[in-house]
Amino acid sequence: MEKKSGFRNVAVGSTLCWITLFVVIPYLIVVAYSFLTPDPSGTVSWIFTLDSYREIFSPVFLIVCKNSFALALSTTVLTLLAAYPFAFFLTRISESIRRTLILIMIIPFWTSSLIRTYALIILLKANGIVNTFLLSLGWIDEPLNLLYTQLAVFTGLVYTLLPFMILPLYASLQKLDTRLIEAARDLGATSPRIFFHIILPLTLPGIIAGSTMVFLPALGLFYIPDLLGGARSMLIGNFIKDQFLVAGNWPLGSSASVILTLLMFLLIAWYFLSSRKINQGDMREVI
Amino acid sequence: MMKKLFLILMVLVFPLASLAAGNEVYVFNWSEYIDPSVLKTFEKETGIKVRYSTYESNEAMFAKLKLVKKNGYDVAFPSTYFVERMRRYGMLKPLDRSMLPNMKNLNAKLLDKPYDPKNVYSLPYMWGSSAIGVNARYIKPSSVKSFNDLWNPAFKGKVLLMDDVRDAFAMSLRSLGFSGNDTDPAHIKAAYEKLLKLKPSVKVFNSDSPKQPFLNNEVYIGQIWGGEVYQASQENPNIVYIYPKEGATFWADNMVIPLSVRNIKNAHAFINFMMRPDIARKNCEYVGYATANAKAQALLDPKTRNHKAVYPDNRDLERGEFQADVGDAIAIYEKYWEMLKTR
Repeated sequence: MEKKSGFRNVAVGSTLCWITLFVVIPYLIVVAYSFLTPDPSGTVSWIFTLDSYREIFSPVFLIVCKNSFALALSTTVLTLLAAYPFAFFLTRISESIRRTLILIMIIPFWTSSLIRTYALIILLKANGIVNTFLLSLGWIDEPLNLLYTQLAVFTGLVYTLLPFMILPLYASLQKLDTRLIEAARDLGATSPRIFFHIILPLTLPGIIAGSTMVFLPALGLFYIPDLLGGARSMLIGNFIKDQFLVAGNWPLGSSASVILTLLMFLLIAWYFLSSRKINQGDMREVI
Repeated sequence: MMKKLFLILMVLVFPLASLAAGNEVYVFNWSEYIDPSVLKTFEKETGIKVRYSTYESNEAMFAKLKLVKKNGYDVAFPSTYFVERMRRYGMLKPLDRSMLPNMKNLNAKLLDKPYDPKNVYSLPYMWGSSAIGVNARYIKPSSVKSFNDLWNPAFKGKVLLMDDVRDAFAMSLRSLGFSGNDTDPAHIKAAYEKLLKLKPSVKVFNSDSPKQPFLNNEVYIGQIWGGEVYQASQENPNIVYIYPKEGATFWADNMVIPLSVRNIKNAHAFINFMMRPDIARKNCEYVGYATANAKAQALLDPKTRNHKAVYPDNRDLERGEFQADVGDAIAIYEKYWEMLKTR
């Protein structure tokens, strides 16, 4: 017994140290920087000011936020549409096939997502694998415009974030009591009705968990839209990076990070509140 | 219990301790800016282990060196106008000439410039330009003579622009007849309005590796560095470099020793090694930018020495302009850049 609690102390303690050292302290530095004055030498001077918060709510930053949120939201919806049927299918097949499928889904994620994004470029570029194949079949006369399009951006984002949606969905679909579906069918419900009135509400916790886990990273993943979309528009990530590395305005970059974190915090709070309501069985109040 | 804790601590601490010791030199350079075999030769000849890291922009390098006060990098490669800035903020160590005998190999024309009089803090490494790249298979190179040709509606959707506020604006400013280092807000605004007209034609913004969209046949014309064209032309000879009549933007990168140096002797040894003619030649032939080393220039393979993207002729050199610091005006540039990217 004594041994066990010792291990627990070490495990919890080292995790806490790690988080404090590499998450909490750096974040506090960012918060502190957001209240300081930019220094011409490229860092900050220790003079308290609210200027960066006054400056941050400019029309440009609002457009940047709008673009980022629109992109993250569309990515979440597309990922949900792609993941739901797959997760449902996973619960309806034999154990061994399911294990293989989940393994196949996870294996690519042992590689860096940056490398996988470059692999997508090789597939989609004008003289890439897809275009060369279609040209050799004679189906097209000149290369299709695939890379540096919205389509490429969504392909990259949905592909990268898909497992974060599938796994929570699968977990809640697995808990689904199939007797409820049988009962509904016996009572004459049509398939769409069964889906919208039974399956969907019962898997709502999975949908909310998956959507949160896709939406939050999608807000920050600016290198995928940059590499696959051609960097033609600015996202929050680009904005923050530019403030630090080009404009040399660290307080402004820090205040943008603080605002982004606050927005994410609100989303997570909403997620916790709604999942608690679902557990209490009050479905109507969720959305 | 205590034994276990001790073991865990040992496992955590041991690699750190072994890292601290040893004869090393910490080099901080631009990405793809050296022949990797040169580092191996240096290690073999001197027994000094090279810890090599790279950066993508002067600003990123500057920010990192500004934060590291001790035990940082031994050698860095800022561009001329950043040498000036770092010198002003006291971020550099003066060089000890007695440890740099290979200095005699450098091109005297590139020494003792206003950004570092008498080369107290820096020695030139390579220089080059940013101008226009064209894929000759799709666009006749002789039809492109000016930056204004990028605005030709025939190239719509096939244009590459640098994803760098200074580079993109310098091109637009030059096309309007202004200096690429202009700090006049009205001129910067005019350049922004002109870039806004170009944006619908731009397929991709890229300054990490602008040769890639050319090699992928995604773009046929665009703003690019000479060295990138040199490297790309080895894979696809159709990709050529054009110095526009408004003049290209030139820059030079320099070897310096930051104040946070770990081992000053090794730092000098590395800089001296980089100035050896055979080494400078290898680097030049590998990356395709012009070497600042006169002896190495004479040794170059004629294919490299006569490559227009590497060595411009005198007329193109005279028409060009060196990139300089724009000071506080960078905030104006950044504001218009954000507007350009959100439209």
